[in-house]
Formats: sequence, C-alpha cells, structure tokens
Amino acid sequence: MTDEEPSLNIPSLLTLAVVSYFVLRWFFNRDESSAGGSRGRGRGNVVDPAQVEQIAQMFPQLNTRDIMWDLQRNGGSVAATTERVLTGRGLETPPPSFQPPVAIPPTNIPLAQTATPVQKADAQDLISRYNLSAKAESPATESEPEKPSKSSWSQNKEERQRILQKRRDDMILAARRKMMQKSQGNV
Amino acid sequence: MASSVAQKRLFHEYKNLSTNPPEGITAGPISEDDMFHWEALIQGPEETPFEGGVFAAELKFPRDYPLSPPTMKFIGGGVWHPNVYPNGTVCISILHPPGDDPNHYEHASERWSPIQSVEKILISVMSMLAEPNDESPANVEAAKMWRERRPEYEQKVRDEVKKGLGL
Repeated sequence: MTDEEPSLNIPSLLTLAVVSYFVLRWFFNRDESSAGGSRGRGRGNVVDPAQVEQIAQMFPQLNTRDIMWDLQRNGGSVAATTERVLTGRGLETPPPSFQPPVAIPPTNIPLAQTATPVQKADAQDLISRYNLSAKAESPATESEPEKPSKSSWSQNKEERQRILQKRRDDMILAARRKMMQKSQGNV
Repeated sequence: MASSVAQKRLFHEYKNLSTNPPEGITAGPISEDDMFHWEALIQGPEETPFEGGVFAAELKFPRDYPLSPPTMKFIGGGVWHPNVYPNGTVCISILHPPGDDPNHYEHASERWSPIQSVEKILISVMSMLAEPNDESPANVEAAKMWRERRPEYEQKVRDEVKKGLGL
C-alpha cells in the first residue's frame, strides 16, 4: 500500500503535467486564434463601405470584391486604390478565400448571389461597360473594318492585351452600327 | 504545380483563340496577370432573336483546370434564356463535370472533360442561344415564355439585345 502510493503518484503527476501542457497549449492557441480573428475583424473594419462605394462610383467597371481586397490591404486608403487604378495597374483579384469583411449587399440580397456587387456594377450596356461611348458616337469608326484582323499575336504582353481589347471594342461597335442601320432601315 | 499546368494550358488556349478566332467569338484573360479570369464576347447566332447582339460573359477557371470546368456567367444582364440563370450564370452540359449529373439527362460525352476547351464551350453556348434546352431550365420564367408565348419571348430577347448595345 505504502509502496504503491509514490509509484502511483509519479505517473499521475506526469499525466497531470502532460494534460496541463496540452490544456495550456490549447488555451494559448485559442487565445491566439481569437486574437487573430479580432485582429482580422479590426482590419476588416478599416474597409469602410462608404469608401468602397466611393471607388465603385468612380470606376464602375471595378469588381467590388477587388476594391475591398485592395482597400483592406492598403489599410483603407481610397487615394492609394484610386492611384493604383489610374496608373493602369488595376486591382488584384482577391484569393477565393477572401471574405469581404463588410456586407456590401446588405441583407436583402440572398446568399446565392454573393457575386452581386459585380452584377450590380454590370447592370449596364456594353458601351458603357467598355467605355465606348465616345467611339460609338464618332462617325469615324464607320471606316473600320467589320471584322477585326485575325491571327494577331504579339510576343509582347501589353501589345497582346491591347489587341484583345481592340478586337473586343470593334466587335461591339460593329454590332452596334449594324443594329442602328437595321433599325433605321425598318423605319 | 497544378496551377502552373492550368496556366500553361490557358495561355495556350488564349493564343489559339487569338490567332485563329472562331467566327463571332472574342475571348481572353482580363489581364494576363490572372489567367484564371477571362472575359468573352459572343455574337448572337443568326436567324435567332439574339441575332445582331453581342454578349459579354466572364469565365472563371478552377486551379485544377482542365480537370474541372470553368464557370461562365453573362455580365451586363440581358440574356433572357431558359438555360441562363437570372444572374447570368450559364447552365449547359459542357460546363458540368463528368461525374456530376444531377439532372440525369446528359450524356457523359456532352459534359466537361479535359479534351474540351474554352473554344468549345463558347461555341456550345452560341448554339445554346439558338436552341434552348427545355429539359432543365435555369430560368423558369424564360423557359415558360419560350414554350408558351414564343413571340413575346423573341421580342423580349430583341429588346435586351438592343439595350446591351446601348441602343
């Protein structure tokens, strides 16, 4: 009996030590993660819906999620985001895991439409979407070929981007011209 | 690793689509910095109410493309069609992974597989515009209108086409 007591005590002390180590570690981790969470939320609060709105109004073509991502990363500086857009660098697409910290589409938008900000910004015709109103009005575009030049591929990334954009614009403008002629013909 | 395979493949498809674009289709990444996010323009097929229209759509590719298919969503609204959800998302068999057929009407050969391509998707979507699949409507209202009140459906489509071109 007396022999057993110490031999029982040592393992149980060890067990206690191990258990308390894990318990402490768990507490520590939990604290850390919840601190991280609140830090995340704190940072999230930096993204002011008014700022997002402000930028979205200036650049309706931008994705709200991208705006929030950029604002969150630059600490909520509208100027920095604006600058970034204006210098043509564009906004990065946030990783899929990025959860916008502010509920931009407030409550009345169902979950199935998480992409609603995009959609909302998109509720416009192609002319305004691609900023083609100037080109659409100018008659000079009439002389442009109906079909955008094929087989154009540049080794230069910017050039490629430009060619693609031009093909896109031409396609829209050509369709618009055709449609206008058609409806004039009908009248 | 996997995503660089996807990137290479997407770049290759982008190049093919640029050098040899199919009639009525323009597609490419919005920015080459993100090859997983494309924008495409599709011309409305002739002799359909979509004729004369141009429709913009965004394509989002998964990291494991081409194992999994992209998603496609019309942007700017205005595609009133039985197989296009009211939010613009396209519902067509080629965009469904082979293993997953919730509707039990598609043949495996019609569904996505790595031998398909962006070009094939866009061409399929074009023919979908011309011939709606009535079996599994994504837009029930549009499907009903298409079935029961065809002239009204066609007029609505034509109006949306004009609106889309800013007219």
